[in-house]
Amino acid sequence: MSARILNRGELLRLIDEAACDRRLIGPMRRGEHAFYEAANRAAELDLEGPPCVYSPKNHFFPPEETLLTFERKSRSFVTRTVRHETSTALVAVRPCEVHGIRLLDHVFGAAPSDEGYLARRRATFIIALDCFRPCRDEAFCGDLGTNTAHLGFDLMIRRLSDAEDEPRGAERFELTSATEDGASLLSRTRLGRAADRDDLDAARAYDHRKAAAFPRRLACEADDLPDVAQRGYASDIWERTAARCYSCGSCNLACPTCYCFNLRDEVSLDGKSGARVREWDGCQLREFALVAGGHNFRAAPAERLRHRVMRKASWIAQRTGLPGCVGCGRCDRVCTAKISLVEILNTLAREQDHDHAGHT
Amino acid sequence: MKPRVAVFSLTSCEGCSLAILELENQLLQILGAVDLVNFREGMTERSWDIDVAFVDGAVSTPHDEEEIRRIREHCGTLVAIGACACLGGVNTLKHDPARPDYRRVVYGDRADWFPTTRARPLSAVVKVDAELPGCPMVKEEFLELVRCLLNGRPFRLPANPVCTECKKLGNPCLYERGEICLGPLTRAGCRAICPSFGSACEACRGLVDGDALRAGREVFSTQYVVPWEKVVARLRLYGAYPESAEPVAAAVAGGAS
Repeated sequence: MSARILNRGELLRLIDEAACDRRLIGPMRRGEHAFYEAANRAAELDLEGPPCVYSPKNHFFPPEETLLTFERKSRSFVTRTVRHETSTALVAVRPCEVHGIRLLDHVFGAAPSDEGYLARRRATFIIALDCFRPCRDEAFCGDLGTNTAHLGFDLMIRRLSDAEDEPRGAERFELTSATEDGASLLSRTRLGRAADRDDLDAARAYDHRKAAAFPRRLACEADDLPDVAQRGYASDIWERTAARCYSCGSCNLACPTCYCFNLRDEVSLDGKSGARVREWDGCQLREFALVAGGHNFRAAPAERLRHRVMRKASWIAQRTGLPGCVGCGRCDRVCTAKISLVEILNTLAREQDHDHAGHT
Repeated sequence: MKPRVAVFSLTSCEGCSLAILELENQLLQILGAVDLVNFREGMTERSWDIDVAFVDGAVSTPHDEEEIRRIREHCGTLVAIGACACLGGVNTLKHDPARPDYRRVVYGDRADWFPTTRARPLSAVVKVDAELPGCPMVKEEFLELVRCLLNGRPFRLPANPVCTECKKLGNPCLYERGEICLGPLTRAGCRAICPSFGSACEACRGLVDGDALRAGREVFSTQYVVPWEKVVARLRLYGAYPESAEPVAAAVAGGAS
């Protein structure tokens, strides 16, 4: 499927077309912040603003949801599965977030698959929005290659024109598809035109500009990250850094790739009925690894911090082949103790370079 | 037989007792499941044959102390409700050594008519079986405790800080606005009601645990220009800062002896 070129007005109309029989969710501005929230029309979305404070994972994996209800009938229980998927157009999802969703797809899609998640995922049409420069200082997606996505969305928007060189309203937006649904919408629409040679040149120039726009922040190559993390397992950085970790789990809950959850049963006053509720959990929280009998496998904050970094930098990638961290920098940003994942990884990399230099 | 339930108030505004009456939609169901036998805010009968006693207020007078011992003696399960009963609450502000005149301000030249002690949580005087902290206590948490008691299931307070609730609700963090919020140190369960309305957490539900306090001291001494003493002063509002957490003074005294 070849690319289609639209101007701003056509882009908004195309989004509205995609959302005509779906709920529209995209970046809605509240003060200086943007949040993935429901909108009536594409014109209400802030497509040029900052990335959303929180990732769009809530829409596939809500912070809290009822999975089933149960009722006591004479000597047995009757259960009823609760499903709540709504056909949705999710707009302006950034490449790093697309990578996050791909990981969730892998995790919840693997047997035994999570039907509730998959139903919501199937009901969602994703219109991604490429970033032509880093969104914030904390981001290091450029180092990880997660600032670009080729899969995991229905349509991808790339704004081929620079903000400076074309006035608002005359910009060129390139739309490509990665799914049949996306391709079908692009082939159906009468909006815009097919990309021509000049657009291809503009796309190549865009790629060059983008490659130069993302500064390196990681002190090692992305491919070496798993080894750097593993070699740092016995480092004292965990104790040193965790001395100020509140174990508040904000890094987990704001992370687009964190998928851990807890199950809780709520029982009515008379004990005859109730509901099973799923809620977000996180490996930095105190009771995450607490088991029946009272043993906690990771009772110390340092053990929990190390566990998170190992997962993000090494274990998830080893197990799934997908990036465990997408470099969005949300964990650093939400940490009120100012603990930085990038700084931890860079300190480990430098310590190891130093050790290596010392031995040769 | 239905459990016999009583509600008592010590030194407090009795707002937590009233919060029970505010459970309007569930009240009839609760009253169907328990026998209410003693509740000053809700009824005139008085019985001392009690299975579960809910008590709000701090132990702040000699009379409070007699009262809580008497309640403890007459009930099977004792539940402290609200910041005053769980932490001492705002009553502990009178401990401020810089303000010895609090009683004079409140009672004027008749201050001596009202004997007072240090304001303490119930647990400082008697054994407490469960605590529902907060100013006021969280009604939904009360309901959950009642469900657990009636169904014989264990009840536990969340062991997470308020930050988890802000993240689940999608609130922007107040620290990003340069504010100091006590959420990272404070026990969740309030659905982050204050930060959700743009107001910093004041720790009315108490500390999550000692680790949070240790982390806070480290964070504020290395990462912020706000001195730790100022944070402690704010933690004292509801009595969340434990008097026993004066590690420096205690260690020095211990080393000297």
